Amino acid sequence: MAAGELITAVIVDDHAAIAAGVRYWCEQADPPIRLIDAGERLVDVWTGPGAEADVVIFDLELVPRNPDFGELRRLVDVGRRVVVYSQHADDATAIKCIDLGALAYLTKREGPDHLVSAIRAAAEGLAYTAPSLSGALAADDTPDRPRLSPREAEVLRAWFAASSKELVAAKLHITVKTVDTHIARVRVKYANAGRAARTKSDLVTRALDDGVITLAELNDAAL
Amino acid sequence: MGDEEQTRAQLRHGLRIATLLVAVLTVDVLGLINLLRHLGSHDLPAAQFAAYAGLTAVLVTEAVLVLRRRPWGALRWPAVAVVFAAAALSYLTLPDGKTSTTVDWLFGAAGWVLVVVLLDRPFRTVMTVLVAHELLALANLLLFHEVSRSTLARFATGSVTVFGLPLCVAVVAAVLGRIGTEAAAATRELERVRTAEAVAVAAHRRRAQRFSELAGTTVPLLEGLADGSLTPDDPAVRRGCAIEAARMRRLFAESDTVENPLLHELRHCADIADRKGVEVELDARGHWPVPPVAVRRDLTDAALTALATAGSWARVTVVGSGGEVSVNVVADCGELTVAPPVTPDVRVETFGSDGTVWMEAQWQPAN
Repeated sequence: MAAGELITAVIVDDHAAIAAGVRYWCEQADPPIRLIDAGERLVDVWTGPGAEADVVIFDLELVPRNPDFGELRRLVDVGRRVVVYSQHADDATAIKCIDLGALAYLTKREGPDHLVSAIRAAAEGLAYTAPSLSGALAADDTPDRPRLSPREAEVLRAWFAASSKELVAAKLHITVKTVDTHIARVRVKYANAGRAARTKSDLVTRALDDGVITLAELNDAAL
Repeated sequence: MGDEEQTRAQLRHGLRIATLLVAVLTVDVLGLINLLRHLGSHDLPAAQFAAYAGLTAVLVTEAVLVLRRRPWGALRWPAVAVVFAAAALSYLTLPDGKTSTTVDWLFGAAGWVLVVVLLDRPFRTVMTVLVAHELLALANLLLFHEVSRSTLARFATGSVTVFGLPLCVAVVAAVLGRIGTEAAAATRELERVRTAEAVAVAAHRRRAQRFSELAGTTVPLLEGLADGSLTPDDPAVRRGCAIEAARMRRLFAESDTVENPLLHELRHCADIADRKGVEVELDARGHWPVPPVAVRRDLTDAALTALATAGSWARVTVVGSGGEVSVNVVADCGELTVAPPVTPDVRVETFGSDGTVWMEAQWQPAN
């Protein structure tokens, strides 16, 4: 995506009302986001205008109660930037999507407040962490989870609780930018753990370039 | 019910073993000694040994049944028949004039064997069979032996032990059965009364406790409304009412049996706000141990107050990680005063900014 050009996103969701709602948010955004509606046809993400879209908004459960992790993996493996937009709200599903290389995971309830921001971040190859995902990461107790600093865990919990970065910053006496940095560092640690995916390695490389996290910290977190 | 059966079974089993031991002593020790000592007096020793074998076989069967804790069942009447056959065989082959003497070894033994077989039958059955045996012995005496004053006297004195002692055991068995039933019934009644009493006491205590929990806050509010000192127009009174309503809802929810009581009670608190038209988001992540009631109250108190007084929206979240749980509520409610936590392991923090209040209650169980 060249600078100044409009962001293009393609949405895969079998509910017409959801796609229509997302289209409305995208049009209202400033600058607006161009949305391609693929309906429930996954093929439209791979061919035609959908193949050129900067971001894929992916409904994880096109078939109810059957999250399509396989399709998510295929999209991520070819370097697509995916925002998972799901009805499903359990911690394990959220973390699995992140582990597979999705840049964002949002529950449908978080759409109005976070979807546009998530699309913008994903278009730039950046991770976006909505409150529900933040809560899932804070509560993650799987044995192979990356090691987070107490402050990072605190920020994750606060972001989940407040759903407002200004409030988190005011309560913890830090700036909003610092809140973002802590959350970004957590995502980099997660990206560095587990299986390799193109979007994940891009994320880690960029975080190292920007100095969000150092190589030593990265190795430390993975231990 | 189980207790009753157990008591009775134990009593019966004990008596059964005791009776069997007495029968074995009379037949296989005393009887055998008498039989062997007077072997020379018998015309047909083989018949006597056959009778002896018959009685012993019955006793061996009983021993096996006692060990396996089984009743006689279908074998009972064949066993009685064996005893009578043995008795008839022994009496008929007795030498002349030897009835009711030590030569007549079976006379004193048969009664015990009959009691062994019939111990768990009604008393009149035992009585009838024992009398039948007596009549058999008497008939033998009257028909085949010389009837004299001394033989009749011997028969009469012998009968006291031969008939009387087994009869005593049968009486004891009958009485024990009745006492067992009565004792079990009395125990059951006593237990029923005790249970009813305990239930009543617990219910009363719970009601009293609930009342005392509400007495400090709800009752003054209701009294104030009743005597007119508080008016429903006052926003503070309305807020107080909303808080008390939520507190009562929580109190009722506390006794529900659910998998996750903390979340269950929070949902009830959230429902109060929902009814007022407040938009409530409730989200929970992670796992946590089930906190005791007192801790749950401390954890939900802040949320309850904030939810009951929220203006238009509230976000309630629960995060469990690393064995601790934190309940957060962020809402657009005014300044709040929340009572400090009662339990030592709960920490409550309140943070306010621009009309938004954020309260966090954390519980870390002390190990």
